[in-house]
Amino acid sequence: MMNRDINGEGRKLNRGEEEEEEDEDEESGRGRDAWERAYADERSWESLQEDESGLLRPIDNKALHHAQYRRRLRTATTAGIQKGLIRYLYIVIDLSRAAGEMDYKPSRMVVVARQVEAFIREFFDQNPLSQIGLVTLKDGVAQCLTDLGGSPESHIKALMGKLECSGDSSLQNGLDLVHDLLNQIPSYGHREVLILYSALSTCDPGDIMETIQKCKGAKIRCSIVGLSAELYICKYLCQETGGLYSVALDEPHLKELVLEHAPPPPAIAEFAIANLIKMGFPQRAAEGVISICSCHKEAKFGGGYTCPRCKARVCELPTECRICGLTLVSSPHLARSYHHLFPITPFDDVSPSITNIPQKLPKSCFGCQQSLLNPGSLFFSTEIANFQKLD
Amino acid sequence: MKFQIEDVTVYFPYDNIYPEQYAYMVELKRALDAKGHCLLEMPTGTGKTIALLSLITSYALSKPSNPIKFIYCTRTVHEMEKTLSELKLLHNYQLQHLGPAAKILALGLSSRKNLCINPTVVSAENRDSVDAACRKLTASWVRELAAENPRIPTCSFFENYEKSASEAILPPGVYTLQDLRAYGKLKGWCPYFLARHMVQLANVVVYSYQYLLDPKVAGIISKEMQRESVVVFDEAHNIDNVCIEALSVSVRMQTLEGATRNINRMSQEIDRFKATDAGRLRAEYNRLVEGLALRGDLPASDAWLANPALPNDILKEAVPGNIRRAEHFLSVLRRLVQYIRGRLQTENVEKEGPVAFVASVNTQAGIDQKMLRFCYDRLHSLMLTLEISDTDEFLHIQTICDFATLVGTYTRGFSIIIEPFDERMPHIPDPVLQLCCHDASLAIKPVFERFQSVVITSGTLSPIDLYPRLLNFNPVVSRSFTMSLTRDCICPMVLTRGSDQLPVSTKYDLRSDPGVEKNYGKLLLEMVSVVPDGIVCFFVSYSYMDGIVNSWHETGLLKEIMQHKLVFIETQDVVETTLALDNYRKACDCGRGAVFFSVARGKVAEGIDFDRHYGRLVIMFGVPFQYTLSRILLARLEYLRDTFQIKEGDFLTFDALRQAAQCVGRVIRSKADYGMMIFADKRYSRHDKRSKLPGWILSHLRDAHLNLSTDMAAHIAREGIKEEGSQMIIKVAVLDLSIACDST
Repeated sequence: MMNRDINGEGRKLNRGEEEEEEDEDEESGRGRDAWERAYADERSWESLQEDESGLLRPIDNKALHHAQYRRRLRTATTAGIQKGLIRYLYIVIDLSRAAGEMDYKPSRMVVVARQVEAFIREFFDQNPLSQIGLVTLKDGVAQCLTDLGGSPESHIKALMGKLECSGDSSLQNGLDLVHDLLNQIPSYGHREVLILYSALSTCDPGDIMETIQKCKGAKIRCSIVGLSAELYICKYLCQETGGLYSVALDEPHLKELVLEHAPPPPAIAEFAIANLIKMGFPQRAAEGVISICSCHKEAKFGGGYTCPRCKARVCELPTECRICGLTLVSSPHLARSYHHLFPITPFDDVSPSITNIPQKLPKSCFGCQQSLLNPGSLFFSTEIANFQKLD
Repeated sequence: MKFQIEDVTVYFPYDNIYPEQYAYMVELKRALDAKGHCLLEMPTGTGKTIALLSLITSYALSKPSNPIKFIYCTRTVHEMEKTLSELKLLHNYQLQHLGPAAKILALGLSSRKNLCINPTVVSAENRDSVDAACRKLTASWVRELAAENPRIPTCSFFENYEKSASEAILPPGVYTLQDLRAYGKLKGWCPYFLARHMVQLANVVVYSYQYLLDPKVAGIISKEMQRESVVVFDEAHNIDNVCIEALSVSVRMQTLEGATRNINRMSQEIDRFKATDAGRLRAEYNRLVEGLALRGDLPASDAWLANPALPNDILKEAVPGNIRRAEHFLSVLRRLVQYIRGRLQTENVEKEGPVAFVASVNTQAGIDQKMLRFCYDRLHSLMLTLEISDTDEFLHIQTICDFATLVGTYTRGFSIIIEPFDERMPHIPDPVLQLCCHDASLAIKPVFERFQSVVITSGTLSPIDLYPRLLNFNPVVSRSFTMSLTRDCICPMVLTRGSDQLPVSTKYDLRSDPGVEKNYGKLLLEMVSVVPDGIVCFFVSYSYMDGIVNSWHETGLLKEIMQHKLVFIETQDVVETTLALDNYRKACDCGRGAVFFSVARGKVAEGIDFDRHYGRLVIMFGVPFQYTLSRILLARLEYLRDTFQIKEGDFLTFDALRQAAQCVGRVIRSKADYGMMIFADKRYSRHDKRSKLPGWILSHLRDAHLNLSTDMAAHIAREGIKEEGSQMIIKVAVLDLSIACDST
């Protein structure tokens, strides 16, 4: 049962990644505006073909195969690596003058906000035990928008309300602020910063190299996704703190790059101190019970969970109990996080010769129940010993 | 890795080799086989140096019966050190594979300033004073005196070196200047004299161009190099200018005043000697009568700069009678200085050939050609006799004698130009008499004749057929290689119009047009807002740079630029420029971003690299033509036309374009780098100009990028920089990934 659960989750994840990587193939044909490119270069209609049942399917699976290959590489390397599952991530959003530029439509700022929203949802989906906080850079100062918390909605709401840009951005101020904020978290948590940087320079009050060393000392992993161009200081920061640095070319690419940060990064041995954490698994309250909710401070009707230690009612999981401070999770959350540590092994490609012998094949895909009789790539999972369709 | 080129096994210290490196080696090998000279152009950043070193050392190893010496000439000390450290790597690799059979002796040689380890000497501020300080401690007469009187200071390192005499040799190995100093300290030997001694025995010698091209220096250092040598001039795109400078002298008012002081001092010395030691002067006279070779038996520490004329042109005769006596010689010098002073007082620009000049000296000052010719040697002999060791004080009279000897020796290829003031500042009288050499082939001719193979190589030698004509030699191989690249790591563009579609140019009639200045400013402003980290701008001259920066300041453009990036400016002051460069680098490092304003043909354009984030974009404002009204240039052009049939226009364009290529080439020093280049002048779009750019730039210059306006250029830059940066990161990431995969 448990096994099935993990696999189901895995498929869902894989599908998500596939979508991101398909976008990467749009990289051909630069030099046009993004909207033109989609039509003029890709000629996406030409790569489709109608089958007898009137369904459209791609002629050429090369792109898909390429993406698949890259994913295989990635999973092959990351399997069996220790990962930090309890992450404390600050997203630093650059809202300086440069964020108002229109090379991303309608503007960098809006695009970034959109991607951050998607990222926050994806992040909590994949890392239910982790927390996020938001920081903005504007007018040369860094401002904490939301504190670390586990609720996607509150972050998104706070961000959308604050979308305006002005002044310069200061990487150093941002790092200093994040450093101070992350100093308070417990030692078992992994400290991370994801910076979405629009500006081409940083206007700092002091020596940024010291700040970078400070972050390195505090074991904060800094990653940057740039929107304009490769900046040396960003590269240096990421190198020093073990983060990832990437530069987005356009919106789909940006999305891909940002979402790459959703799965937990490999934990560096000395950072990850094994520790026991006390957690509570609250029961879902019976329907139709009225109780005072500890998070909204008002009477709520039905639903909700009850903290096993202090019996307070909370609306959502995972969270930290407002009354007794216990970490409240549900067992699927743990299972989902667990998935990162033991990813499913890559599926084997089935050679076309086997597909010609229909009796050897089951009639439908194990995962999606679609018929396997249509031509297309097949994969075989060794673990569940069943055939699955590509995509 | 180890591979075979025809019959030679080449040891190459890296695991991978670029195809162009291989092609380069093959061509080089053919030239060595043919025992001829060759001319090879290969872009910077493709590992030219290691390809050269690796092939030539391997070639020498494969022919043990016929050992060849390898002389490698660089332009700067920094390049020398870089070359030697590459050689060290290569040598270790060869030792691993061949064992002790591969042992060679390789060393760098530089001036005392860079090699001296005596703390009291090396603290002197410039090269001449270090030389003089060294002489004060090591001259033979000083040491003789010191032997009697121990209170007279000598240099312990030199004494130790002299004492160990024949034992003082370097064990095989590769020695950078630093290693030499360290070894000198360890053994207590003077590294400079040790190195000078070992140069004769070493397999590989790395030193500066001057040591071969300037007859004054070459005469003492490179005199005894064997014929079976391979001489390499690296970064040799300016070699013709080095050759010309080696034979040119300019005399100003200060020189004359200094020379007069020197003469007075010498005559006092003569009087003193007459009173105390008359025999010494008489001995000198007798020696001169016999026509003894001047330097035959002199100890190394007394040897000083040799005759400025080329060895073949020096007369093997006794010094003429009328300057044998010291007083007579001094009076000849006095008359010569007086004559030149008279010539400098002219109000007009004068130009004449050496023959006319010598004739006029003869009639007005009574000094004939032969006496002029012997001035330098006679002065040398006199200074030795008078035991003068503070030679840095006597530079002025040496300049005068240089001039006299050259003007007395050569009748063709030179001219004498007297200008009463600088063309650009006519109100300030600054008379100068220049003896300029027009023929680059003169200085390099002995090198071509003496050595079996001479290799001239650089990143920019285009058009490659012009160099053999300028230097007057027949290469057996002349080839230009391009860079093999998996992606476009350089993106050259030609910008012809501003955003208002008006042409931009630094042509004389357009350059002070406010519209052009504004358009150039707007271009920079656009670029600073899309290009990260460092941008380097090259202007055609200091005065143009001053003018345009002023006008940008007045219109407020500079302020807008400063909002994006800090601005640093090269000045004629070396210290100031170094400081500016340091701060520029700092600003690039810390992410603030910076722009560096520099001048084509300046120090920065020639020797400083702006690789990686220090130069993501280089803008060449205008075509860096030489100052075409300069008399020297005009005289040279005339000579080139008459002697080598090179058209003026061709030469000027060639010279301007090689400077431009040199400037923009500063940003890309390796294949893993990327950068954009903007040629901002409408003249670059013309075929005759453009086609003179080196092949590796041309091959990346797309037709669509030939006639851009500011906004189009900004768009291309924005997209290009982003894509390059992003690709680079992906590349590295994918590479890491696959390496990780391979290892698991």
